[in-house]
Parts: sequence; C-alpha cells; structure tokens
Amino acid sequence: MLRKTLTAILIAAILLPFLFFGMLSVGQAWFYPSILPQRFTLSNWQELLVGQSELQVSLLLSLLLGMGVAILSTLAGFVISKEIARAKYKNRWLLLAYWPFVLSPVVLAILVQRFFLLTGMSGEVIGVLLGQLILAFPFAVIFFQSFWTQEVLQLEQQSQTLGASAVYTLQKVLLPLAKPLLLICFFQTFLISWFEYGLTQFIGLGKIKTLTILVFKYVNEANIFHAALASLLLMLPPALLLWLNKKFVFRGI
Amino acid sequence: MLTIQNLHKAYHTHTVLDQVSLELPQGQVLAVLGRSGCGKTTLLKALAGLLTPDAGSINWAGQSMDAVPPREREMVYLFQEPLLFPHLTVFENIAYGLRVRKEAETHVQQKVAQMLQELELQEHAQKKPAQLSGGQRQRVAFGRAIIFLPRVLLLDEPFASLDAQTRATMQRLFLRLARKYGITALFVTHDVKESLLVGDRFAYMAAGKLQVYTSREAFIADPQTGVRDELAFWSALEQQTPYQP
Repeated sequence: MLRKTLTAILIAAILLPFLFFGMLSVGQAWFYPSILPQRFTLSNWQELLVGQSELQVSLLLSLLLGMGVAILSTLAGFVISKEIARAKYKNRWLLLAYWPFVLSPVVLAILVQRFFLLTGMSGEVIGVLLGQLILAFPFAVIFFQSFWTQEVLQLEQQSQTLGASAVYTLQKVLLPLAKPLLLICFFQTFLISWFEYGLTQFIGLGKIKTLTILVFKYVNEANIFHAALASLLLMLPPALLLWLNKKFVFRGI
Repeated sequence: MLTIQNLHKAYHTHTVLDQVSLELPQGQVLAVLGRSGCGKTTLLKALAGLLTPDAGSINWAGQSMDAVPPREREMVYLFQEPLLFPHLTVFENIAYGLRVRKEAETHVQQKVAQMLQELELQEHAQKKPAQLSGGQRQRVAFGRAIIFLPRVLLLDEPFASLDAQTRATMQRLFLRLARKYGITALFVTHDVKESLLVGDRFAYMAAGKLQVYTSREAFIADPQTGVRDELAFWSALEQQTPYQP
C-alpha cells in the first residue's frame, strides 16, 4: 500500500508540471481571481507548427546544439579519456578536466569571452556550440574514466595479441562493453546543452535563442502562455530520454 | 625458433630487463622461474609487442619481430587473470581469433566445437564468462589462445590464482594440449614444482637477468633456483612422517 502511494505521488510529481504547462500552453486571457484561463485555443501550438515562428526556430536550434554537443563530447570524451587513463600523469590531466566545474560556467564564460570576440564567434551558433562543449567535453572525459579501467585496457591488449586490429577491437570489444555508458553520456551531455543558460547567453550575446533562453525571455515579458509552451517543449526531450534510458539502457546493465 | 638477443628495458634508472638472451626451438616450452618483480611480465610483454624494449632484438624463424605490431606477431600473451571478453559467450570467446582471421563459418563451428571438447566445456558453450568458475575461465582463455595455433604462447603465471587441485588439472591440460598442438611457449611461474612439470627447457630470472639452463639437472642443481631447497623440504617432511596410503 505504502509503495503504491509513493509510486502514485512520484508519477503525479512528474506528470503535474506537464499537465499544468499543457493547460497553460492552450490558454488565453487568464486574470485573477479565475482558477482557469478565460479561453482555450491552439493558436500557440499552431504558431509552433506553422511558419518560421521564434519558438519553432528556437526548438530546432536547441535540438541541433544538443545533438552536436552530445555527439562531439561523447566521442571526444571516450577517446581522450582513454588517453588520460593510459597517461603517465593521469591525475594532472584529470585536474584540467575538473577546471570548468571548479570555476562555474558564468565565470568561465567571462574568461573565454575575449577568445570568442576575437575569433568572431560571439553571437554565432558555432560559438555557442564550442562554449557548451567547454562544459560537456570535460564532463564526458571524467565520466568515461570509470570505463577505462586496467581490465578494459588489458582486454584491448589481449584482443591485439589475438590478432585483432584497432578497428576490430573497437567494434567487437570496446564499443559493446562501453555501449550503456556511451548512451548515458550522450543523454547527459545532450541535457547539459539543452538546459545551458549562462554560457549560451554570454557567448550568444542574446542572438542565439535556445529554448532555455526563450523561457527566461517569455517569463521576463510576463508572457505566461508562450513561456508555458516553451517550458513544455523544454521538458519533453529530457522526459523522452529518461524513458528511453529506463527502457533500453538500464535494462542491459 | 624464437631467438632473443640482448633485450634491455629500463624505467628511469631501474633496469627491468638486463641483456636478456635466449633461444627456444619450435614446439618446446621454456619454464621461466622467478620471484615477483624480477621482470618476467616485462619480458613477456616485450615479446608480445605490448611494450617496446630499449635495446635488443626478437626474431622468429630468422625474421625480425621488432617492427611487427602485436596483432601481426602471432605471439599471444595470456594474463595471470583469465581476461575473457565479458559480453561474449564461451563459444564466441574461443572463436575470437578465428573470426579475426575471417575463417569460414563452418571451420569456426568445427574448430570451436573440437576445442570445447578438448577443454571439456561443451555444456558451457553458451554461457557468459561471469557464469564460469576460475578454472573454467582459464581453460577458455587457454583455448582461445591456442585455437589458431599462434607462433608463441606467452603465459604469465596463468594458474597462480587457482586452488591447488584446479591448478594441477590445468597443468595436466596444458601439457596435453602443448604436446598435441606442438605449442612453443614461455611459461612464467614462481612455483618450482610447476616449472619442473611444464617445462622442456628451464630458465631462472632475477633482477632482470635471465639465466637459461642447458638441462633440467643443471636447473635443479643451481642453488639460486630454490629447487634443491624445495626437494630437501619435502624429503625431510617425508622422513618425519612416513607416507601411509
């Protein structure tokens, strides 16, 4: 009974924001002391699906940045983490990977701002992508340290002495072993990009409007219906990824 | 014939391999006895191509192996712990070297089935390594290493982590298969009895120096190998408590 109640509370806690923002996203004219908005309309959703609306562009941009950051940081993190695991001064390199997290993203943004200004990447998508990688890449490097154990490195050597090439070893040994971690890292780095605000705002100069930036903008404008729709969109991919994680990734562990 | 000449390896000022030289005819097992940290693992890894020696040369049948990468050397290194691929079944672990060499599926099936029979592991073919005992895992690792008949097998104290009974079984299995397939092997161990049991030739390693003996008798006679002490111990024990079946 207690377990069922707790499960119900947990499900309600997850679903309630979706229901609340879902209701707000189709609302119009909500004035105190009404409990619900005066009218309900799909115009906000139509705006998203039809034409080149700000929300639509922002959603696509966020997806593009998220996928780019996730793919690049996961792949680079996997490779570099291995090199660090094999390096003579492993801890020194790892200390470097912790550097962005020790500084905090905003302080880091201030430090790297000049570089982005000089290279003309401020206010550009590529600049924001690189900026987000400053956080996501070290995260992936640290994340994969738990994979590159002495045993895995020895398995790689074993495969080599059995006659396998580096590519064969990667395909048949390393990638199958790392698959659950690769997927988790992909999801995590996607979410780092998806929810990133400080660096994106600073390097993007307000021109690169990701969904997270847009939510803050709508909230500042007191545009609650658009803010609700943007928030709903912001919550959907992480929820989907969490569901996929549960269904496919953790099942294999 | 495996020929090693003046192999040298040092880490900073610490010499791990000191002018190691040996000759090992094809189909023979060289038992290398030595204590922990004497350079045995470094020697095997250098032979497998997993680390580069500072000086010296490694030749197989007159052909230099120095520039040959590990995957082309056909010298399989067997770690102390049986390093099986955890995501593959026993069958696929044993088949690994054959699949790498792109052998036909019928050959793979046939050879692996035969090897499973040799190793008495037929009923475990579809199990994952985590479902096997230590001795079974070591048997799989051994089968995986010899199935494609490598030039040299490099065994790094392969039975050290096994209990006495399993160890004895594995030693007998190794001897049987080594004879059957004409395996050329360097068998590193710190166990005097094991070295005498598995070796056709004998060597003793200490502080990076390798002493190769001309005969079993010479190996036993050298006090530094500790064989005589071991024999004396068992002899004394036998005299104190006469053996009663």
